[in-house]
Amino acid sequence: MRRIERLINLIAALLETSRPMTASEIREEIAGYGDQQNFEAFRRAFERDKEALRNMGIPVEVVEIDPLGGEPEGYIIPKSKYYLQDLDLDPDELAALRLVTTAMMTGEEQAEGGLLKLSVGDSGGPWTGARVTWGADVAAEQPLLGPLYSALIDRVPISFTYRAASGEEKQREIETYGLVHRKGNWYLVGRDRARDGIRAFKVSRISGQVKKLEGTYDKPTDFNAAEHLSGEAWEIGSGTKATATVRFDADLDWWVEQNMPQLALKPLDRGGVEVEMPFANLEALISWALGFGEHVEIVSPPEARAAMRDHVASALEPSR
Amino acid sequence: MSQDATGRLGRRLQRILMLLPYAIKHPGVSVDELSERFGVNQQELLDDLNLVFMCGLPGYGPGDLIDVSIEEDKVYVSMADYFSAPLKLTHSEALALYAGAAPMLDLPEMKEADALRRALSKVAHALGIAANGEGSGINVQLEGRPDSHIRTLREALETENRVELEYWSAARGALTERTVDPWGLVSALGRWYLVGLDHLSGEERMFRLDRIKRASVTGEAADVPSDFDRERYRGAFSDREAEPNLSLEISPEVARWFEDYYPVAASETLGDGWKKVQLVSSGDRWSATLILRLGDGVRSVQPPAAMDEARRLAQAIAARHAA
Repeated sequence: MRRIERLINLIAALLETSRPMTASEIREEIAGYGDQQNFEAFRRAFERDKEALRNMGIPVEVVEIDPLGGEPEGYIIPKSKYYLQDLDLDPDELAALRLVTTAMMTGEEQAEGGLLKLSVGDSGGPWTGARVTWGADVAAEQPLLGPLYSALIDRVPISFTYRAASGEEKQREIETYGLVHRKGNWYLVGRDRARDGIRAFKVSRISGQVKKLEGTYDKPTDFNAAEHLSGEAWEIGSGTKATATVRFDADLDWWVEQNMPQLALKPLDRGGVEVEMPFANLEALISWALGFGEHVEIVSPPEARAAMRDHVASALEPSR
Repeated sequence: MSQDATGRLGRRLQRILMLLPYAIKHPGVSVDELSERFGVNQQELLDDLNLVFMCGLPGYGPGDLIDVSIEEDKVYVSMADYFSAPLKLTHSEALALYAGAAPMLDLPEMKEADALRRALSKVAHALGIAANGEGSGINVQLEGRPDSHIRTLREALETENRVELEYWSAARGALTERTVDPWGLVSALGRWYLVGLDHLSGEERMFRLDRIKRASVTGEAADVPSDFDRERYRGAFSDREAEPNLSLEISPEVARWFEDYYPVAASETLGDGWKKVQLVSSGDRWSATLILRLGDGVRSVQPPAAMDEARRLAQAIAARHAA
């Protein structure tokens, strides 16, 4: 018998059984397990199957049973934990979700899987491919996101190896409070147990697997994960906080008006505008300003202006 | 996640566990509809049904096995009440739906937004989490988008009209007038882009919405590919097949973060710890900006024209920042 048939039989039996089945019962009663030569071979096959089902989100539970029978543990898939309740989604709600999955450019396989489950009771008929004129890439394909979201929802502390921007790798123990997508990257925000403080971790810098730890934790109410990330690159840093006056050419005043509405603009007589930009990371401010080439000028403070001059000077060295 | 869940067997099993409830709830559903809905060809679907036909409950007698019959292309599944409801959503599935919905909810005046919010709140309820926004624990931040441009561009997309843009081109370092056949709006890297055929370059381009100064619908019909392939613009980068045309050596400090931000086509670590990288540049001006950003963390730039442009730009910036 093929493994997939054995797995279907295992799910069916563990869902329908009225009491947990012991390993011996599974071996004797469920089609596909009798093929194994001995109990050891059976045990290996069963462990592998159990793991496969759990990885698909199928809740195979281990229950302690009457030790008199000789085997202290039994297995069952509780119906209440397996079945998706009927969410009573209206046709327009399903249609809106379908629009979402159609537009997705990453992670659409997962989203479509979810949508198919939610659409079991819909009125049927072929799925019409609505013309969608937009696409959404929220980098939702990253495999670690699922396990991290599980940890967040179930409030299970986790540990993982994290590679800091400095290149240094460290083991972290984290209570996950939120997941934030920003500028194409996912960040996990949570309490770092060793530092006893809120930290943000770039998901792409987590190496290897995420390990679940014992116990659960409480997430603070009204926690806003995004606040722990918000701010532009030049606003975040250990440098001295200061305010730069930045001048934009006349060609770019509309850009400032359109995209930096929070800043006070000072129009200049000869065209262009000046804005006051708070910063804590001068390097990041310079890098950002370079994106506008010669059309943007750091007017003050003098140290920042000089830093910009020195920075571009390295490109002027003849050796390069 | 392990191979078991994402490999071929895992995907097939998950599909069967979704397909059975649908077939049970819709007796007489056609083979066509099932294969289309579950994204398989007819043979694969028939293989799935034949497989299920061999499975059932302990005892495995006629009364225990799942009954599948196909009569004149209509499918009937019975004796499998335990598979009449699907498995709960996995956390990966829920996360993908929440994250994928965010850009759509960000678009102004989407008529489906209200239905989508209701749907997500029902999903949240099923997961046992609070419904609105931050309650899901997922927050997708999208940078400010000029609503008036989005309105204009959506109108142009829906009516398949050409648009005229006044656009700040970082590749030219100047405002440009563009005529564009709009193909689609794409949200990537937390920003919105317009994808379309740019008449100025004669090529397809991605335009950042924050850099559009003015957009207007022309009334001229646009050429729009019948099947706009949004997959091509993942990561806001459409030139995946293009040959690398810029080569740099970057310092070990720069190498630590460089590939997180720039699409590197090839890289090679050198004897002294520096790294030689090759990438696709949209032009000398783009290359020059990159070179200046890297400061003293870059050397051996090829082609020389990129370095010449970097020097020219550096002189102009240095002159503006004279003491």
